[in-house]
Amino acid sequence: MKRKAALLLAGCVFLAACSGGGGTASSTASSQAAEEVSQAQEETSQAETAETEAEETPADTAEGQYYSSFMDADPATLDISLRADSYSSEIMLNTMEGLVRTGEENGSYVILPALAETWEVNEDGTVWTFHLRDSVWEDGEKVTADQFVYSLRRSADPATGSPSAFFLQPILNFGEINAGEKPVEELGVEAPDDNTLVITLSQPTPSFMMMIDATVYYPQREDKIAEFGDKSGSEAEYYISNGPYRLESWVHNNSIVLVKNENYWDADNVSIETVTIKIMGDITTAYNAFQSGEIDSVYAEALEWRETFEAQGDCFPVDYPSASMGFATFNNKDELFSNVNMRKAFTLAIDLDEMNEMCFSGMRSPAQGWVCDSMSVEETNYRDRAGNMMQAMRDDMEAEGMTPQDVLLKGMEELGLGDDPSTLQVTMGIGGTDEWYRTLGEYLQQVWKTELGVDVTIDYNEWGIFVDNIMTGNYQIGFLSWGAYYNDPYDVLSLYLTDLDMVMTGFSNAEFDALVTAAASEMDLEKRIQNYIDAEEILIRQECVVCPVACAEAHYYYKNYVKGYATMNFNKIGLKGMSTGER
Amino acid sequence: MVITLLAVTTLTFFLMRAIPGDPLSSLARVLPEQIRANYYAKYGLDQPLFTQYLMYMKSLLRGDLGESLVNPGRSVTATILETSPISAQVGGIALLVGLVIGIALGVIAALYKNRWPDVLVMFVAIIGVTVPVFVLASLMQYYFSVRLRWLPTSGWGEAKHMIIPVIVLSFGTIATYARYIKSSMLEVLSQDYILTAEAKGLSTGQVIRRHVLRNSLLPAITILAGRIVGIFTGAFVIERMFSIPGIGFYYVSSINNKDYSMIMGTTVFYAALFVIMQLIVDIVYTVVDPRIRLQNKD
Repeated sequence: MKRKAALLLAGCVFLAACSGGGGTASSTASSQAAEEVSQAQEETSQAETAETEAEETPADTAEGQYYSSFMDADPATLDISLRADSYSSEIMLNTMEGLVRTGEENGSYVILPALAETWEVNEDGTVWTFHLRDSVWEDGEKVTADQFVYSLRRSADPATGSPSAFFLQPILNFGEINAGEKPVEELGVEAPDDNTLVITLSQPTPSFMMMIDATVYYPQREDKIAEFGDKSGSEAEYYISNGPYRLESWVHNNSIVLVKNENYWDADNVSIETVTIKIMGDITTAYNAFQSGEIDSVYAEALEWRETFEAQGDCFPVDYPSASMGFATFNNKDELFSNVNMRKAFTLAIDLDEMNEMCFSGMRSPAQGWVCDSMSVEETNYRDRAGNMMQAMRDDMEAEGMTPQDVLLKGMEELGLGDDPSTLQVTMGIGGTDEWYRTLGEYLQQVWKTELGVDVTIDYNEWGIFVDNIMTGNYQIGFLSWGAYYNDPYDVLSLYLTDLDMVMTGFSNAEFDALVTAAASEMDLEKRIQNYIDAEEILIRQECVVCPVACAEAHYYYKNYVKGYATMNFNKIGLKGMSTGER
Repeated sequence: MVITLLAVTTLTFFLMRAIPGDPLSSLARVLPEQIRANYYAKYGLDQPLFTQYLMYMKSLLRGDLGESLVNPGRSVTATILETSPISAQVGGIALLVGLVIGIALGVIAALYKNRWPDVLVMFVAIIGVTVPVFVLASLMQYYFSVRLRWLPTSGWGEAKHMIIPVIVLSFGTIATYARYIKSSMLEVLSQDYILTAEAKGLSTGQVIRRHVLRNSLLPAITILAGRIVGIFTGAFVIERMFSIPGIGFYYVSSINNKDYSMIMGTTVFYAALFVIMQLIVDIVYTVVDPRIRLQNKD
């Protein structure tokens, strides 16, 4: 009830404050607000009503709004070229400003101008020109296009050893430069003047706009990198920001404090003055801190904690699909799994709904294909168009009047292995040894035993050992998760290109390669979507190269006074869009 | 001493490199080959293992422990120097509290052998030894922070942040020492010289203070050395639970993350500290225990 009142208020405030909202957002802003009000009145589920606009700036921007949250580990480094972990990306998202920010509106993603006020692309989609607004760093120094050029070159330079450099893949000459075959000066980035940045790509890349809000596309200061030397990004004093917040302090493994950057170009739209991010390695500590009011948000998947929070009444849940797919990968070069019917039998034997309940406490969503539910092609949700391919594969089987075991026997026959499934020797590798992984392994073991009659051995290993086995092709089945880097199906479909084969499936299909490669440079939206769908059909429905199991979901709890949080996975607005009402 | 350190360093170096995985695997990501190759080249991980070993030993002799592979820009030496005093602060106070209470309880248990104070002390001691610290820590955190709201759940910098961690950490020491002191006191109490002292007409208090306590504390010094080394190396679980920026984190995470230079640094630090502490204990013994001095003169 309390929540409802708060939302009504938020909705009204929103109407008053939405004028001046950035770019495409303002046109539909008022309808969005009206929708929220009516939603609240109808008392629909809390999660739905909780959806607020990212660029919402409530009028009650009282002095001294503060917000506390937590991270479960310390960022490894805040050097733009050297970072690779998700913790550092969370800090940078709020302390840096890149060309654009991805926001959300009515359940679709929108690309909002950030430092790039406007941009245009040439006809064949290879030359992108960004017109930068006048803005400064926290120390008052102007942000220039040269700083973007320097930053991108530094990351591409093999001597830097940047683990995130592969994000620069579409840029002209990146591959040769990163392999040390060409000088960095030949990277396809130029700064004709202080406010113009031109990026030339090696081929048309319509999804490029989805990639450039990655941290590796942020500008860097050559003078500061020279001054900080190797220490760049290792402590608060060796870091400089141009974003909504500046890094006030950083005590490793303890806390990070962010303070609003008054020099930020859009500082008027930043509500929260001080943000404390506590580093709590132990999730129970975070739950206790959330209960006692020391932090304002927490994520919770465990049912007992969700019940505790629900009962508490001072907070509400926010759930949305993320972009990490859990899947069983088959070694397509293995004697058994080189056969498509073997792969299909092991896939179809699993009831994905049941598995979601048994292994993930129902906190994930059963896979509908290889591409996660949260992904879109520009503003069109991909899954809505592609449909449920896992179900389609099952329908294909049932249309033939077969069971998973029939499919297995067919495969065995094709391989000349007789008709006794219990004679098969199958081992599955799992990259973890704690209880969660044991449940997963034992569940699959039991499913394959009852559905197929196959005794599968489970090999539990530490992650490092497991990954080594996968990368050297020393496995039959392995369980992995893959999180998308950016919002475009290409990002996850390209894993299976013959030349990349990132999870060593051994899969190679010329038609698939052609479809994915063509889609990557297809400027026509409809054709691009169709190419992705056709490629996924081959990958999953026809060839069943891997067995997608479940797509992860984000499960957050916020205190009732928190507003403006993200409700979609690729939303990169961060703290800038957030505010707190009366506590 | 130098030989011990050399052996520890060499063994650790080759053992840690025998574990599959590399510093990049902490990202739980599969990276493109070229990216991996550049990263390896930057940190010299592409060199033959023995060359890497020689390079490491060379810089170690110069007192340089290198730079963390997982946290670029953070020197291992600086990390150890910054974090171990914090661990030592929590651990030191906890050790002191534990010692005082533990010894007191041990004395009480010995003096009231088989009566209720003894039973009570031994009950507490058994709980202290058997209940894992994280259970105790969770319980205390829940009651004092969530239910009563007296203390913050976690953090560092003010005295109030240290209360729960110190109590939890001292519990183990209390339990160990209570049992240890009790048994060594009982042993001393049965010695002939105690009978002599009593026969001389000394009061019970004097017997305890001058003869029993002094003699029964001697063996306790031996286990103290290990404990003191332990406080500098931190308490991983407690530090993690209470967000204490101590060194304990680096001992565990560096191994999980395959942060080679950090593994080496923390191991060398621990080994050196341990060797030095043993030396000090040997010296202290000669001061405290006259019998050792006598033997040395013979």
